[in-house]
Amino acid sequence: MTEKLLKKDDIGKLYSELEKEYKFYAPTKVQGNIAFKQISNAEEIELEYLNSKVPPKDVLFPQKEIIFEYRYEGKEVIIEERKDLDDKLLIFGVRPCDAYSFKLLEDFFASGDFQDDVFLKKRENATIIGIGCNSPRQSCFCTSVGGHPFQKESTDIFLSDLGDNYLVEAISEKGENLVKKLSWLVDIKKGDVEKSKELAKLAEDSFTTKFNFDLVTKVLDENFEHPVWQEISESCIGCSSCTFLCPTCTCFDVIDENDEYNNRGRRIRIWDTCQSCLYTLETSGHNPRPAKIQRCRNRIMHKFSYYPSNYDCLGCVGCGRCITACPVNNELRLIIDKILEIEEKSGEKVSA
Amino acid sequence: MPNPYIPVLTKVKSMVSENEVNDIKTFELEFVNEEEYKAFDYIPGQFAEISIIGKGECPIGIASSPTEEGTIKFTIKKMGTVTSGFHNCDIGDTIGVRGPLGNGWPMEELKGKNIVVIGGGFAFSTLRSLVLYVLDDKHRKDYGDITVIYGNRNSGEVLYRDVLEEWEKRDDIDVVLTIDREEEGWARKVGFVAAVVKEVAPSSENAVAVVCGPPIMIKTAQDELEKLNWKDEQILNSLEMRMKCGIGKCGRCNIGEKFVCIDGPVFSLAELKRMPKEY
Repeated sequence: MTEKLLKKDDIGKLYSELEKEYKFYAPTKVQGNIAFKQISNAEEIELEYLNSKVPPKDVLFPQKEIIFEYRYEGKEVIIEERKDLDDKLLIFGVRPCDAYSFKLLEDFFASGDFQDDVFLKKRENATIIGIGCNSPRQSCFCTSVGGHPFQKESTDIFLSDLGDNYLVEAISEKGENLVKKLSWLVDIKKGDVEKSKELAKLAEDSFTTKFNFDLVTKVLDENFEHPVWQEISESCIGCSSCTFLCPTCTCFDVIDENDEYNNRGRRIRIWDTCQSCLYTLETSGHNPRPAKIQRCRNRIMHKFSYYPSNYDCLGCVGCGRCITACPVNNELRLIIDKILEIEEKSGEKVSA
Repeated sequence: MPNPYIPVLTKVKSMVSENEVNDIKTFELEFVNEEEYKAFDYIPGQFAEISIIGKGECPIGIASSPTEEGTIKFTIKKMGTVTSGFHNCDIGDTIGVRGPLGNGWPMEELKGKNIVVIGGGFAFSTLRSLVLYVLDDKHRKDYGDITVIYGNRNSGEVLYRDVLEEWEKRDDIDVVLTIDREEEGWARKVGFVAAVVKEVAPSSENAVAVVCGPPIMIKTAQDELEKLNWKDEQILNSLEMRMKCGIGKCGRCNIGEKFVCIDGPVFSLAELKRMPKEY
């Protein structure tokens, strides 16, 4: 696959060439945070960032989106399908963990007898330009979930920040074609690829958060009723930040929004969260997960036990957003430690 | 790849009030497009996501049997926005339908078996479907004896009186009706479903129990059957759970790693025992 150099000064050129063909999404500053937005000016692009507050998942699976629209003509209902699903999207500057989340989302939405056409069409029409992480955050742990700060999976083109230039690597066929079209990209110099590899190694070595998730899954499967869940859920206030900011969370609610005066409306889906008691509350009043302990457990079990059972991979990309977002510091690292302690303690008993 | 969230359109053909207080009605729906009716190939125990477009969508068990050709039926209690919308419908109103969804009762596996039907309240709908299916001339010879134990709070809540009367006239099905408390003029059983199961003491020999009702009824009926030496594999339960999509994407109907919408709603007690008690 082709390797080229993109001068940092040429980002504007890249944008103006690609925005004609694609809806161009890039990390940009929004109210002091980084967010992925469709931009209208290359200067809005902010590539010197650690990671976005909300993952770029929301480009393909937005917090609120139309499933279809409808209008009433007397008693007749006319359903109007979305026409924008075939638009070509480009998501620029995606971190490797978030790029990998696109693979998990795609596998999930494509699984089973029913394919989620709304998501999958957008995914198919999206080109992902990833960027390696020279300096992972202290809360990052992608290397514990099979990822890497320079992992290229699920990207079409991958950038490495070499200082004055980005090393541009075509990863997929889609990416290869795109790189070839950008004929003005500069040829790589001797040592550029090696430098990128060095940066990758340095980044990998800088990780402080590491877990053995194989063991976590095993302990979870054996300890569903363990009192540790009481301890884990005690300080949770149910704010749901962890799920709303998670790049692999996919739960949604569905409601109808009406424009009553014009006899029309739209059925939309909105992110929902298993951390809310309303999430499972049935019309009869019965609630299968009425307490925090069950809801906290469900989130952890879903990511690290149910996901491995159903899809043969962890439902986590190690971005660390749930760690930094938790307002009561009931964060994943502490939760995982408590879970692993069960195993350590039972080991002590056996040896004693 | 069609958008799986887009319903096909049907019209309300008839509405029948099912109970004394008039908050449960059975809606008969006729497909606008004949091809879409043919594609709606279902078995008893499946459900559909039905919607009043502009109010919302909800999962409801299919009350009709595939042997009742031409239309499909849903029995709906007036509870929230969507179900109230149904109760305010007129004949000819448009209803969206997505389905059939879920696994349904395993009609093939039930062949040659005696069937004990245990139901409570208006969850009896998919059991109505199953019994009508089995009693149909085309299928009756494929199945053994049928016992129906059906409980309600009071006599005014007993659904499907017309078909129950038909069943009671036949000699190839036993119908045991019960209500929670004694009432003047009620000559049948009195007591909760579990107590009646204990009293009737259905034999587990070459039999399968199909159970649908409120969670507490399901659990107590299971207990009684176990005391009568029924094996976990012989007890089939249809579960309810809050759902939005019905196709395994919206997330909320999981019990452990299973989704009630696509892996259920019918689970054997053996399966349930391997799952967390979160239903």
